[in-house]
Amino acid sequence: MHGDAVPLFFYSDLFLRHPETRDLFPVSMAAQRDRLVHALGRIVSGVSRADALGEYLQDLGREHRKFGAIAEYYPYVGASLLATLAHFNGPAWTPELAADWQAAYDLVAQVMIGAAAEDAGVRPAFWEATVIAHELRRFDIATFRVATTEPLDYLPGQSVSMESAERPRIWRCYSPANVPRDDLTMDFHVRMIDGGTLSMVLTRGVAVGARLRIGPPVGTLTYRPGTRRDVLLVAGSTGLAPLKAIAEQISGLPDPPRVHLLFGARTADGLYDLTDLEKTAARQPWLTVTPVVSHEPGFPGERGLLHEVLARGGDWRRHDVYASGPTPMVEATVTQLTALGVPRSQIHLEDFGWSEP
Amino acid sequence: MTASSRNGRLTPDQVQSISFPPARFGRRGLDEETVHSFCDQVQHELVTLLNEKASLWEEVERLRRRIIDTGDPAGARPEDAHVQAVRILSNAQQMADRYVADAQQYSRQLTGGARRQRDEVLAEAKSHADRVLDEARSRASRAAEVVASEPGPAASGEWRDRTAELAYLRTFSEVYRTHLRAYLETLLNNVEDWEQSEKASLASARAELPFPFPPAPQEQPPPPAPGPTSYSSPPPGSPPYSAPPPPPPPYPPSPPAPSSPPARSSPPPASYSSPSPARLP
Repeated sequence: MHGDAVPLFFYSDLFLRHPETRDLFPVSMAAQRDRLVHALGRIVSGVSRADALGEYLQDLGREHRKFGAIAEYYPYVGASLLATLAHFNGPAWTPELAADWQAAYDLVAQVMIGAAAEDAGVRPAFWEATVIAHELRRFDIATFRVATTEPLDYLPGQSVSMESAERPRIWRCYSPANVPRDDLTMDFHVRMIDGGTLSMVLTRGVAVGARLRIGPPVGTLTYRPGTRRDVLLVAGSTGLAPLKAIAEQISGLPDPPRVHLLFGARTADGLYDLTDLEKTAARQPWLTVTPVVSHEPGFPGERGLLHEVLARGGDWRRHDVYASGPTPMVEATVTQLTALGVPRSQIHLEDFGWSEP
Repeated sequence: MTASSRNGRLTPDQVQSISFPPARFGRRGLDEETVHSFCDQVQHELVTLLNEKASLWEEVERLRRRIIDTGDPAGARPEDAHVQAVRILSNAQQMADRYVADAQQYSRQLTGGARRQRDEVLAEAKSHADRVLDEARSRASRAAEVVASEPGPAASGEWRDRTAELAYLRTFSEVYRTHLRAYLETLLNNVEDWEQSEKASLASARAELPFPFPPAPQEQPPPPAPGPTSYSSPPPGSPPYSAPPPPPPPYPPSPPAPSSPPARSSPPPASYSSPSPARLP
């Protein structure tokens, strides 16, 4: 009805009444306004399914801890929300409506605050981390290692959100490329996206000593042991990171399954971690690494897109598949494997949401 | 005793300090008449106050209606002022959003363009290197065939093979050397062009300068320091002003002047076949 005007009014109202809340948000609020509308829509439309809504709100409450949202701010948000509704509804806004909305908001806030408080008893809002090594593998691909001050427990294959002091309040998800270590270090692989706010900083803008904030782990791309099936890992570009962590996890098993890792890039110089992978494969008899290149006719190894190579070689029906990379690559992989007879329940994904330029 | 101030109004002080005389002999309590009279006075005062309050309220309402009806912004209600502030902040925020989006768009175009250009340069370099190698190989093969087919006196198979191999290698290295020489010449030409264009731009910049040097705060060269600090140090005898430094020269291999494109005729310079001269064989 009023489009962007409603969230625009809401945030301006909030920042005018409580200027200290401005610091929770990035300079540009455009994406934030979309997020607010999306979340409100989800809450309003989810009212009929209370369980699912409760879970969503609890997630939302926990997620907001790293942004610095404290319980004290929740009433501020409620007041500005009601002021916004009053402003846009004009004479149609009645005290009864206001009371209903207030009650609904209080309920939402209560669930969020409760989940956040519970979470605060278990772990910090975010982990302070320092870059201790940084290597530019190609002009637009970097790997770097950070050390956190507190232990961060995650499952191999999961991802964490990350914020750089260079770009305050911009959080993006990256997967650690290793299993959790005793020395509290983690490795990340980052590819620069053209115009990408954080990826440009992480590839070319940070050096040893740079400070990062890391959020709690999320994601469902985790290894399912106990199926007795062999494993196929399909990695496109820096989508390799979570799969490398999973391979490392498998290497620690007493009786590891056979693992086949397909590592794909457009050109050979995009296989930024191949040397390390091949070194590991030479030591581990259960691991096979196949580099795949799609856009370099002279490449001596497998040529083509990852899903084309999958179609050419082998029977994958008795494999657990883990795929990670750009959206089109992940989608094509799923389509191809399903067509080849791999049950969808055996395919696990991490969708990075971006595509190769 | 009556409690009354000068203008006949009751004051809080009077209520506070009122004292009633004791009742007349034979009766208990306070003097009834005095108490009644004071209560009358209090009632009167209350009525006056309530009437005054009502009329003031009416006045407030009247003024408020007048503001709304006339729409006089100077007399805006507090909530109107807030809405206005919200509007101003919203406009500022949208402006900031646009600046960020523009910067992002610009950086996307810039990096995207650079990436495409890099891919093109690399692809061209690769295909050029392939062509050079192919040419060297095919010419060397032809040379070897010629040697192998020559009828020689008492030519044993091994001798013939060795000679053919020698001819192959000799031709291969000759072709490669030719390309290398062309590449190095192109580089040298580029360096010379760069040097000349720098000299020319220095000379013209100096000629255009009025004397004395006009104050130009933004382009003012650094004050002459002892020792060779500036790369545009004046030749001996020239006035002690150094010309504004020319734009930084392009890094050598790119052609500096449009008038002198690098020679790309035959033989083609192996300009991309090696990433840097230092790594040439």
